[in-house]
Formats: sequence, structure tokens, C-alpha cells
Amino acid sequence: MNDSVIKIDFSRRKQLEEMLGADHVSFCYQCGACVGDCPSARFHKGFNPRTIMMRALMGDVDELIGPDSIIWLCSNCYNCYQRCPQDVRPVEVIVALKNLSARECGEDDEIVKIAQRVRETGRSVPVTQATQRMRKELGLAPLEDLDVSELEIILREDEPESVKEDRGG
Amino acid sequence: MDAGRHPNIELMTYSEVESVSGYVGNFNVTVRKKARYVDQDLCNACGDCEKVCPSTTPDEYQQGFSSRKAIYMEFAQAVPSAYLVDMETCLGTNPIACGKCIDACDKDAIDFDMQDELVDVQVGAIIVATGMDVYDPTEIIEYGYGRYQNVITSMEFERLICAGGPTEGHFIRPGDQTRPKRIGFIQCVGSRSKRYGSEYCSNICCMNTIKDTLLLRDHYPDTENYVFYMDIRAFGKSFEDMYIRSREEGVRYIRGIPGEIIEDPKTGNLRIVVENTMTRRVEEYDLDMVVLSVGVKPRDDSPNIRKLLTLSKTSDGFMMEAHPKLKPVDAPTKGVYFAGCVESPKDIKDSVTQASAAAARAQILLNAGKVQIEAVTSRLDQALCPKCGVCAKVCPYNAIKWEKGQFPEIVEAACAGCGACSAECNFGAITMRHFTDQQIIAQVDAILEDHPMDKLVTFACNWCSYAGGDFAGISRLQYPVHARLIRTMCSARVSEDFVEHAFLQGAPMVLVSGCHFADCHYINANRATVKRVQRLWQKMERLGIRPERLQLEWISAAEGQKFAKVMRHLDGLRKDVTKEEVAYTIEVLKANKMKGEEKKAAMDRLTSPRPPAVFEEEEAPAGRAWFRCLSCGHTWKGAHNPNAEPVEWQCPLPECRSNSIRLMKPAKKKVAEHAPA
Repeated sequence: MNDSVIKIDFSRRKQLEEMLGADHVSFCYQCGACVGDCPSARFHKGFNPRTIMMRALMGDVDELIGPDSIIWLCSNCYNCYQRCPQDVRPVEVIVALKNLSARECGEDDEIVKIAQRVRETGRSVPVTQATQRMRKELGLAPLEDLDVSELEIILREDEPESVKEDRGG
Repeated sequence: MDAGRHPNIELMTYSEVESVSGYVGNFNVTVRKKARYVDQDLCNACGDCEKVCPSTTPDEYQQGFSSRKAIYMEFAQAVPSAYLVDMETCLGTNPIACGKCIDACDKDAIDFDMQDELVDVQVGAIIVATGMDVYDPTEIIEYGYGRYQNVITSMEFERLICAGGPTEGHFIRPGDQTRPKRIGFIQCVGSRSKRYGSEYCSNICCMNTIKDTLLLRDHYPDTENYVFYMDIRAFGKSFEDMYIRSREEGVRYIRGIPGEIIEDPKTGNLRIVVENTMTRRVEEYDLDMVVLSVGVKPRDDSPNIRKLLTLSKTSDGFMMEAHPKLKPVDAPTKGVYFAGCVESPKDIKDSVTQASAAAARAQILLNAGKVQIEAVTSRLDQALCPKCGVCAKVCPYNAIKWEKGQFPEIVEAACAGCGACSAECNFGAITMRHFTDQQIIAQVDAILEDHPMDKLVTFACNWCSYAGGDFAGISRLQYPVHARLIRTMCSARVSEDFVEHAFLQGAPMVLVSGCHFADCHYINANRATVKRVQRLWQKMERLGIRPERLQLEWISAAEGQKFAKVMRHLDGLRKDVTKEEVAYTIEVLKANKMKGEEKKAAMDRLTSPRPPAVFEEEEAPAGRAWFRCLSCGHTWKGAHNPNAEPVEWQCPLPECRSNSIRLMKPAKKKVAEHAPA
């Protein structure tokens, strides 16, 4: 494709909007408020929620997904969600892109590992010896194992009939 | 000050308008002249009283940077040049408590027995110039206004750099009274935001900041100045030159809105982290002071003014003009005009322009001595009137005065002729001159006299839809020949009876069309149209008539294309209507007009040619509702607040965009029996 010509892939954009259930991304006016407060952007020059929004608007989704995409650098801190004057919710767009990436490009091993950890321990970050030592130094109670029995119900793949009925379908 | 000296101008300062009655040319205004406790004719503003007053309070005029006494003058150039006592902070007149000012005044001008005075004024025209308020950025926690002493607003900056300000023009930062060297401005604070303040552009802040930076370059060339912006809107005459000059003078403009301001608690210095969107780099700036370029908003008390003068507002909260393009200075209420920011945010030049225009508009009215109004006004027939007062409720101009148990009184000079009252009246007691029920019914009859199945009965409002039809014709746009237009002044004139009569006479399709919501030429009369059409759809469905046969469209005078498109589409819908359907419609409407047993018998004889549709969706949660486009059939769930200002509904499908949007009410489902827990 000729680089000087910008082509907008409306079908891809629509696909993203359908995943989001809204078109809030189209209200982005590229002010950069999301970047100024983004911890990932401060530590990684390549990560920029504003340009991710711009590329999402252009339907440039293929460039944004895949195991090597910059979207995985997002720390889900929701600062951008708080700051955005146009209610674009950049983090929700990035989460949608992550889901799309898993669906289309296969699941990344690292991500699967984290998901499994959540399922098994109820925590996304592992509790290490160092963590426990630091907590002790700060005078905090040690972290106990969590009860994950309820989590197992939530994460069941086949939805129980009773839950389905509650949701009206 | 010139206005204060002018022999033909009477200034009533420190006063409030209590009530306004009457109409164009004959307004009666009651003004409360608040007690100043100082005789403004005797006071010579020597200031002796102020020196002895022991009560101090923050000075509002200086944005709280300095203090004033309980007896004070708002600012040095105030008109009239006389003091007044603020009773909220005054210690009182009891000699034991205080009363020092009375002793200090050589002129004996201070009188604590003064009372508020109610003054009646007869005026012919009213100009509303009540101005605007400034956005308070305290709620934006990331900028720390109110917490960080060196974060100030552009209004506070104005006081700090003004020779008449608390520092006599010596520019210092509030935190430690030192002169700041690195000053940053953040644009669009409380403007263009869905989160804080307003969604509109406040219009003046860009140029205000550019002016401020030039002032700083001029007074203190050793300072560094930064402006953080998303768009600089320098659109006025020679504004762009000023912007270029500011950049030439060395002011740095960085395109990017800072995410956060972080204060160094020791030094009071501020760090801004911002993405420079031009370079795509995250940059950090250490600054001594940050000025938030705050937006403007309608005054908090503007609802009172709207109530006093029967005005309405636009979606941004500022006052609505009689017409956004052709009557930008006139209020919808005749004899009332706007000047300045009460109508929209604007700068000095635009305010002066509008004020001059408002004065000239008022002059035209006053010099003529009498007003010519259109003969299209409403008239009440007391013999038919049950004194219910619905006409007064629906009148957008408050031209109908009504009290419970009394006959309504129509003020013809204030009546604009929309006809909403006449359509709303169920008793035929209000006649709309030149658009009487008989005239309109006769037009319907004539249209449907022969070949009714080939006719598309269209009610079009005078200002927009009828003109839109004209425009389609002038533009040589093709549309089917079946449309027959009946002109009314406003779509709100279209009574439910007219539509029913058209169906009774065998009309396959009826279209009601009017101005877009924002363009309604009768303030908001076409909201009544929507209510009426919704009622009709409800009724049609109840009687087994397909509601799709009544359509609603907003077509502006410039939308010839839309007019032609609507006509083409409706012609397709018209062909879909069967003869059996029309015959049934006539029968059922006739039966519905009967009463008691006779009606029941007539209804029992009928069978609808199409089974009535049942709407079987779940009840929508609070704040949302089901909508159906009666043009294309699309059904969706959308935001809906019955108590909020009505908005214009439109089909969300890009290929449809019809305004025939019906608010759907889900059929009441039988409550399932709950098994005991």
C-alpha cells in the first residue's frame, strides 16, 4: 500500500465497535490527556494510547494485534479512562483489542500463564518470598492463600441452567 | 461611567428584577432596589468610613487575593461612586457593637434604617445582558486547583497582573510571593469536555491566553511561557496575527493536554507531564506557576431570568435566540433582546456588536410607537371553553394567561401564531385565525375527494418543511406526484382530529412534518407535535390500524434532498396500504366515535385485515427505553429520560435516518408465579 494514502478499514473499525458495544472511540480528538498520565508510556517510548486510538479509528486493527503488539504493554491502570475529556475510554478499547488478538492470533503463552494463575490462586501477581519479606518489614500481615471455590463457579465454561434463566435467556 | 452621566439613561445598580408582566411595548417591570445603607447622593466616596470599619472579608472583585471592609465600594471605578454596607459581615449599628462608620461620616450619608424599595417601571423593550459565570476547576483533582497554591485560574491571573489589582501589577505567585519565572497555561479547562464543565468551546479562552502570554513577554521578558493546548482557535479579525506574534516572541506552544500536575511540597513548584503530540514524546516540564485557562458557563441564576421573561435555552444552557441565523439578537418573546454572553460565550468585540444591534432593534420598536403583528393569532370562544387551561400550558410564549376557574385570556400582541393552543384544545374553543379547523378540514376533504388511495396527505409547517418542499421544487428534484401539502404555521397546529379526519376520508398515508428541534420557529412548540403523534400512534394501534401509516419527519428549509427522499420513501409505503385496510380504518374510526352499547356492537362486527403487532420485549431499565423507527422498522433500546428536556429522535440506521420514532411500551407480561424459596 502506498504510505502517503491513508485508507480507513471501516469493517475492522465496526468489528471493534461491536465488541465495545459503543462507538466511543470515534469521539477521540487526539488531545493527548491519556498519554500524559500513562505509566506505561513513561517507561516505554513505543507505547502511546493516543496513537493506538488513532489507529483503532482507522481500522488499522491488524497492526495492533498479535503476540508482539504494543497493546500488551498496557497495565490496565484506568488512568486514561479517568482523564479522557471525551469519554473515549482508551483502556476499554485496548482490552477489546487484546480479546481480538487472542481470538485471531492465538493465545500468548505468557497471558495464558497469568490467566491460569488467576484461576488457581485468585491472584494475577504471584506471591513470592520477597513479597512476604517486604510485607513483614512494613508491619503488614502475610498474604494467605485465597479461597478460589467461588472463582471456579464464575469461570466455568458451561453456564449452569439456573444462571442462564436469571439472565433471561 | 458615560452611561451613568447620560440624561436619558437611568442606572439602577444594586437592584434585582422581581417580576415582569405585560407584553411587547407595554412591559411592567418591578425592580427591587436593595438597601445600600448609604445615601448615594450624599456620599462623596471619601473613604473615611472604610478606614474605621473593623470587619474584613475576602474581596470578591480581587478574586479573594485581598480583603475589603463591610462598608465598601466594589471597585474604584464603580458607578455610582458611593459606598454600600454588606449586612452579612457588618457588626451592626448598636453603639456597643460598632457603628464606627456613622461617627466617621461627615456627610451623615450612612442610614441603617434604609429599606429595600420596590420600583415599578414601564418599558417598551427589554435588553437582557446578564453575562456569564466562570467555570470553577476545583473538581478536576488532577490539576490540584485549590490544593496547590501556585495553580491559578485565568481570572486570578488577570487580577495579579492588573495595575489596579491586589499587587498593584507586580506579578507574583500566591504560594511564596516571589516572581514566577516559568509559567504554563493549560487550555480548555472546563470546555470541550464530557467529563468536566461543558461540551462546547468557550470561545474566548484561546485569545485570552495569547493576550496573557504577550503581556508576560512585555512585562517580564526573562520569563519562560508555555501553552498546553489541543487546538488554538484564533478565528477572529487579526487574531491569527496575534497568535503568530506570541510565537515569535518566544512563547512555546505544546500540543497536548497534561494528564496531571504534581506539586513539590517544599518549593511549591509544579511538574507537568504531557505528551507533545507533535513529536509523540512524553515530556516533563518544571514550572513555577500554572494558569488554568477556564471556560465560561451560563450564569447560575439564569433559570430565574428565563422564568421572568419566558425565555428558553439551547442545549448548552445559554439563552435561545428567536432564530439562530436570521434573528440572532431577538429573544423568542417579542420586545426582548440579548446582548453579550447571556446568549453565548463571546469576546468584547462581539458583545459590543451584539449590544449595538440589540439597541438598534429596540429603537426600531420604540420609534414606531406601535407594533405590527401577523394577523395569525388565536381567539377564544368563551361559550365553548370549559376553563381547563391546557391552552395556557402548551403556549410557548406565555401569551395565554389563565387562573384556575377563570377563562383564559389571550394576549394577542404576545401571540406568535403557532396554533399549538388551538390543536391542544379538545373543545374547539380556540380559533386560529387564517388556519381554522374548518379551513384545514376543507383542504383534507378536497385532497381526498377522488382517488384517495393515490394521495399522500402531508401537513407541512410554514417555515421549514413547506419551504423544504419549495426548495426541492426549485432544485428540480424528482419525487412522486402523490404528495398533497397542507400548510400550517407550525406542526404544532396539526390537531389529532385532522389526522383522524384524513384517515376517515380514506387517506392511505399521512405525514406530519415540521422544523428540526433546534430550528423550531415557535421556541419549542414542535415538542407538542411529538407528544400528539405519539398519542395518535398509540390510539391507532389500539384500534388495529397500522401506526406506520402516520409518519413524522423534521425537514428544514434547506433540506430539499430530504424532502424528496421522504416523499419517495413514503410513496413506497403508501403502495403497501391495501384497500381492505383503508375500509377497515374508516369503519373502526366511525365505530370509535359511537358511544355505549352501539359502539360495542359496531366494534364486534369488525375484524382487522392484519393482526395487530404485539411488542414483546423486556421492560427497559430506568433511564432507557425502547424505540421503533416506523419508517424502516428498526427497533432499539436507547437513553430516555421523560423528565429531561426532550431531544430530537432519529433512526440510528444510516440508510434510514427517519424521525418517525415511536416510544415503545412493552406489553405487560403476566407475572410468573414464584416458587416458594
